[in-house]
Amino acid sequence: MTLQVLLILILMVVAYAAAKAKKLSVELSILAAAVAGGIGGAFLKTPPIGELPRHLVEGMFPYLDVMLVFSTASIFMAIVGESGGINYIVRGTIRTFYNMRVAALLVLMLITLIPGALTGAGSMSILVVGAPVAMALKFMGVPERKRAALLFIVAGLAAAAPPVNIYAMILCAGTAIPYVGFTWTLGIPVLILGTFTVLFYGLKKEGGMNKAEALAAMPEVPAGMSWWRVLLPFLTFFGMVVAYRIWPFGTPIFGLPLEFTAAALVAWLVSPKKIDVLTLSRETVKRLLPLLATMIVVGMLQQIMTATGVRGLFSFAMISTPLILLYILLAVIIPVSEGVLTFGAAAILGIPLVWFLNSIGLHATVVIAALSILWPLGSALPPTALMGRLSVMVSDYKGTYGSFLRKLWLPWLVITVVSILMIIYSAKLSFLVRWSM
Amino acid sequence: MPVITIFYYLITAFIVGMLGWNFWHEKKSVNDMILYLLVIVPLLLRILRVK
Amino acid sequence: MNKERTVKIVLVAVIGVVTALGAVPLYRHRHSTMPVIAGPGVTKVIKLSDYAPTLKGTMGDIDVFVMEGKEPGGKAFLMSDTHANEPAGLLALMALVENAVVDKGTLYVALTFNASGSRNTKPGDGYPLYFDIPTEWGQVRFRFGNRDASPLDQWPDPDVYIHYPERQALSYVDGRNTNRTWPGRPNGLLMERVTFAAMELMRKEKVDVAMDFHGAETMFPVTNCIVAPQKSAKIATMASMTVKAMEGFDNHVEPSPGNFRGLSHREIGDYADTLPFLMEAPIPFLDQPTGPKTVKLLIDGKDDFLLSLSKKKKLFVSYDETGWPMDKRVGQHASVALEILKQFSKKNPERSIKLSGFPRYAEIVQNGIGKYFHDPAKADPKSVYFE
Repeated sequence: MTLQVLLILILMVVAYAAAKAKKLSVELSILAAAVAGGIGGAFLKTPPIGELPRHLVEGMFPYLDVMLVFSTASIFMAIVGESGGINYIVRGTIRTFYNMRVAALLVLMLITLIPGALTGAGSMSILVVGAPVAMALKFMGVPERKRAALLFIVAGLAAAAPPVNIYAMILCAGTAIPYVGFTWTLGIPVLILGTFTVLFYGLKKEGGMNKAEALAAMPEVPAGMSWWRVLLPFLTFFGMVVAYRIWPFGTPIFGLPLEFTAAALVAWLVSPKKIDVLTLSRETVKRLLPLLATMIVVGMLQQIMTATGVRGLFSFAMISTPLILLYILLAVIIPVSEGVLTFGAAAILGIPLVWFLNSIGLHATVVIAALSILWPLGSALPPTALMGRLSVMVSDYKGTYGSFLRKLWLPWLVITVVSILMIIYSAKLSFLVRWSM
Repeated sequence: MPVITIFYYLITAFIVGMLGWNFWHEKKSVNDMILYLLVIVPLLLRILRVK
Repeated sequence: MNKERTVKIVLVAVIGVVTALGAVPLYRHRHSTMPVIAGPGVTKVIKLSDYAPTLKGTMGDIDVFVMEGKEPGGKAFLMSDTHANEPAGLLALMALVENAVVDKGTLYVALTFNASGSRNTKPGDGYPLYFDIPTEWGQVRFRFGNRDASPLDQWPDPDVYIHYPERQALSYVDGRNTNRTWPGRPNGLLMERVTFAAMELMRKEKVDVAMDFHGAETMFPVTNCIVAPQKSAKIATMASMTVKAMEGFDNHVEPSPGNFRGLSHREIGDYADTLPFLMEAPIPFLDQPTGPKTVKLLIDGKDDFLLSLSKKKKLFVSYDETGWPMDKRVGQHASVALEILKQFSKKNPERSIKLSGFPRYAEIVQNGIGKYFHDPAKADPKSVYFE
């Protein structure tokens, strides 16, 4: 069986490489790999050829809701941007905090952490507050490559930050471990690593601009813009998110896409400038196309990998690895699996891994927390590179993607070491779980 | 069907509309044409209540 | 016609045809039915919405097969397809409905407890849509469903599911999982209404025992066991020891954790006077490190990767070349259920429940579960129900 599955895997890799060699996009190359895997599997009826279209169509669905979240959040932020709201926020931040650099950086870190912490998706941090934060950093003299790197790392930590951590939730749901005891187990490492990251990238001022120059260099804010016009859409969004937390049984379940849509409508209504929503939405969807398509083809790839046994082979290989080697390999396996499968990696590799580590006496809750801090790093890695690409997009970085990746090295290394140490010493760190209960 | 669920079908239809418009007005890139269609498929099947 | 338009038409045609070929089986799966024959022991078939009107007309409103004995006695509520990708319980309870006769007491049987989940699939996980069980008269086809209800019946998901009434935060997807939405509420999410209706049935009918039939991965510590809260633990332990001694298979007892909310084995006992039991039979198909996800793997439970991991002591059940066949899993569920009823009856003679005609472990393993399914074409049409 191993040989059969390996052959299918090789076929998928060859199809991907051939498609890339033919200069096809990443998305179409993943699609080619999925189709090739399906056809390869059909020779052994795993799955039969007649079921291939069904598997391909079904594979388009795992991330349907995430696609709706991305689309509505991006349209919302496009409206806020078009109305001049983002420029207005940045002006305010610069005016208040310009001469207190550390405080300014910490405030920007907290602003970036909040959307991801509340939704569990780091991409939400980038989409909702990434553009204003990047602009504030720009005027504080943080160069574009560092801006993109800072935003990516902090957004990744936001994904792991409590109260909502989708990786931990998927793992808890799959391993029947309650989703409790994470507040400090995640909160403390996230705040320490986040502080380190913003200071590492932002402490040094490069490109001297004083406060007056910075304010003068900023784009004009449309006449009539005011704090309430900026805040009202965000309050609508956070209000709907928080209402369910406070009154879970009295509030209907809106879901993130509707919350963003409501916020977008409010932003449109209170904008001092007339906005053509249809044109703006079409342009936003066009900009998002590669990301949306990535989610479609990754789902198809996952479906085919599972049906053919390739996914099981990966999982098998990982669990069969000797323990010491596994600890070292986690540094590579976890981020790479995120790059290939996004959240799907938590289910595919995470669930058997947590069971296995739990069975050798490690503390499951701390292990899940540690893994969930490590996973988002992979969101910078191809083929999907979801958060990485978004970070580069909102911070206006024009250099190559590779140079952005290289800029991540030190915080990446620190986060990796901290996560792996958390796993190894999870039993000793179980006091964090007790504090959180 | 709850009102909120109806909103979801409307939001999905709106996004399909935007994607469809862009597909129709895409002049050059065959890659983008394919990607638009791929993204439309699951959204459309949801609206049709197939999946 | 210009070139651009031709390209577009070709693309729409190709992607359209593949989509249609893929979408039709998914649509059929959601709208397919499984015939069940109400056997000699079934005295009436009621609807779950009889106990919670807010379920009426929804996908959550299911048939409940009522099997009343000649003599009054205790009452038990049995449910399968809480997770419709763990089908051994469904096969066991279908054999019960089609064959058993209750001599004393009453059974309430919900075959597809999460009916929406049984008409759903798990995108990304490459499941087959159906599986067939051979019988003397042909094949019986079963839908293979999903752990969670379909978004077509409950949409959207919250960003985090907050359990009612304990306020524990659970995964966003658990709002569609009928083993996280207990005890439910009358006007909550559809799946909360399903569990609420079942709670109402148990409270109003004064049900003594509830059994929820599941399957769990061989790499999951809570597998091949009876999960029971403190109040059910004695009966579970006696049942576990008896099947081990008399029928030769392991089925240990796991305590229901007090701080993990929403599960049947926790909330049914906390919110009704009923003793809950959740049965887990190993299902290798659901393990992550397996080969292709085929119907064969689902039925025979044989997998080379798991065999290799078993030799490295990484599974929580014994596992060899014989795999973990469906008949063995179904047989375990049948015998454990019978033993729990027997132990309960021993302790509560005035509320005892007695039945006959339901095969035990050894018979099912020897004959195959298909032997206990009857041909709907030959049955009285009035006794055939479509689940």
